[in-house]
Amino acid sequence: MNENAPERRVRQGMDYGEDSDVHQVHAAIQREKREPRVGLEPLSIWLIAVYGLAIFFGGAYLGRFSGNFSGDSLDPALIPQPKTHGPSGPGGEQTTELSQADRGKKIFSANCAVCHQPNGLGAAGQGYPPLAGSEYVNGGTRRLGMIVLKGLQGPLTVKGQSFGAAVMQPWDKTLSDAKIADVLTYIRQEWGNKGGPVATAQIAGLRKELASHPDSFVEADLKAVPEDAELPGGEPAGAKPAEAKSPAPAPPK
Amino acid sequence: MNPSEVPLRPPSNVEVPTPDSQVTTHEVEQVERALIDASTRLPVLFFYGSAILWLLLGTLLAGITSWKLHAPDLLANWSWLTWGRIRPAHMNVMVYGWASMAGIGTAIWLMARLCRTTLRHPLLLIAGGAFWNLGVLLGVGGILAGDSTGFEWLEFPPYATTVLFIAYSLVVSWALLMFRFRRGDSIYITQWYLLGAFLWFPWVYGATQVMLFIAPVQGVMQSAVTWWFANNLLFLWFGAIGLGTAYYMIPKVIGRPVYSYHLAAIGFWTYAFFASWTGMQRLVDGPFPAWMITASIAATILTIIPVATVGLNHHMTMQGYFGLLRYSPTLRFTVFGAISYTVFSLFGVLISLRSVERYLDFTQASIAYSHMGLYAFFTMVMFGSMYYIVPRLVGREWRYAALIKLHFWSSTYGVGLMVLMLIAAGIAQGSALNDPSLSFIEGLEYVPMYLRGRSLSGLLLTIAHLIFAFHFGLMLFGLGRTASMPTFLNPQEEEAVKEHI
Repeated sequence: MNENAPERRVRQGMDYGEDSDVHQVHAAIQREKREPRVGLEPLSIWLIAVYGLAIFFGGAYLGRFSGNFSGDSLDPALIPQPKTHGPSGPGGEQTTELSQADRGKKIFSANCAVCHQPNGLGAAGQGYPPLAGSEYVNGGTRRLGMIVLKGLQGPLTVKGQSFGAAVMQPWDKTLSDAKIADVLTYIRQEWGNKGGPVATAQIAGLRKELASHPDSFVEADLKAVPEDAELPGGEPAGAKPAEAKSPAPAPPK
Repeated sequence: MNPSEVPLRPPSNVEVPTPDSQVTTHEVEQVERALIDASTRLPVLFFYGSAILWLLLGTLLAGITSWKLHAPDLLANWSWLTWGRIRPAHMNVMVYGWASMAGIGTAIWLMARLCRTTLRHPLLLIAGGAFWNLGVLLGVGGILAGDSTGFEWLEFPPYATTVLFIAYSLVVSWALLMFRFRRGDSIYITQWYLLGAFLWFPWVYGATQVMLFIAPVQGVMQSAVTWWFANNLLFLWFGAIGLGTAYYMIPKVIGRPVYSYHLAAIGFWTYAFFASWTGMQRLVDGPFPAWMITASIAATILTIIPVATVGLNHHMTMQGYFGLLRYSPTLRFTVFGAISYTVFSLFGVLISLRSVERYLDFTQASIAYSHMGLYAFFTMVMFGSMYYIVPRLVGREWRYAALIKLHFWSSTYGVGLMVLMLIAAGIAQGSALNDPSLSFIEGLEYVPMYLRGRSLSGLLLTIAHLIFAFHFGLMLFGLGRTASMPTFLNPQEEEAVKEHI
């Protein structure tokens, strides 16, 4: 509505219908201003400054948080690293400079820390047992490998406290041998734990051995294995190969 | 009005304003406008009328949705009235029923006016509108019956989408035909935006349909597609129609050229270029390559360029004429919408930044954002354009200035309160969610009081919509005023308006 046309003044109110002089071209069209045109004012210097700022800020943001434009980088602040194509096997893309425990730490935060917590203390309220000081973590590597590869369910006693509300999933489909070895090495040496390192070959051997094992272990299966049973092929030669030869614990049920 | 009834001379008792042309040219222009308006009358009124009915239904659904958030037992015994169906039904009614139909109505009228061509075969356009209504009806029925697809803003089941597509192709071909047969040598800014919107909508909607339903992309990529769609529907479809309408209404009502062509061109092209990159910023910390999300954030930051440009252009056009906001309903609604557009976009930039999004994502703040875009900006601009266009189509003036005022203030306070409440709820919710010592349910306890405030704001909006629907109904049934003066918001001061000019 174009209110500004210089027309005669008509009081607003109940005048509709009383006015016998209904215009045939509607008054709105008559008083209307002409169709809009466009002026040609130049750009202000301040606006150009705003453009510059926006481009600078946007570009800086893109550079800072682009994750090096890598297709598999979820980390926006990833710093470019020289690619070294070492014989690190599957799962060891850019991690050759890191120690085994450091690699394990990354795998731990990505997969395990949700339940067992970054401090390794677990969450007793939800039924997640601790790793720090746990007899299963500090003991032999065999039990630990069984748990991680095939998962664990049912009641379990750790550090004198009983758990059982939660189920641990099997990881053999998800994590490679190298990654499992790394993460086991990490949890056996972190939080005051005193276990030795675990080698990739050890996990590979156990994986082959358990290949036909259908489902998760229960506490009884673990108890069937001696607490200090080590996997064959580990660095500390103190392991007892004889026990490792023993057949895998009988499947439950 | 039969076009042949249009007299070639204006009635003698009305002074014809002659800005800078001869009387004869001016008279020819008047007759031309009268013919064009007469040809667009039925389809535009049909689209407007349907849109307003959908607006009322959408408002009802919105009320139930909002109420359920703090009174979850409400209507919980009927499966088709549960929250998971009512909320998508509300959103889709507003997006496709109200906003799209109102936008198409305004766009058709503007296109005909600016192309200086009468709308031929308006009945086919009405058929398009009828199909559109059918599509929305089927879609909403499908959602309530449990047929929702589960993708935000795309919940309409495939059979409804198909009908919508037929309707849209009828509408768009009419708009393009008008552009093809335009007269005059210059193409005005509004036409850029409208033409853009009419070509962008099938791209955004069609590409998303293909990638989600016809040849679905894998896994998490589906949510990337969904967010790209939602953002670009807001920017490229509603944003373009809303900005185009503001570019017409502001200079038209105050009778002054738009400040600068250069600003308009920069604003349009940077908008077209950057807006289509946005959307992924909603996926911060999701399982996506970081660069994808960051590229969208950078593009969102760059939308500052078109926003600042368009904002400055409108501001400089209005410079010295702000006093008219006291009188003109069109100008008041449109300028409110244009200002909201700036606020909405800057808020969008703010919440897209990783450090902020981390707090506000998955909270009520994103609801605030979409209401700023779809209501405070787009809907208000549409109200403004209806206040301008409808009197020209029905040949009557709006009946009550008081109702327009009440509509404006309830809408303004309603949407303002809603956005403030939702942002406050979002901040409270976000900081609670990010506090590891609070459980999820403890974090939610901060929110209901804001949600009650939001329901209150919905009450204001309901009042506004009922008033507007009533007023529109009066106009539709020929009960408007037949005065030669428009309906001022503050009639007793109209002398002041004249002195001002």
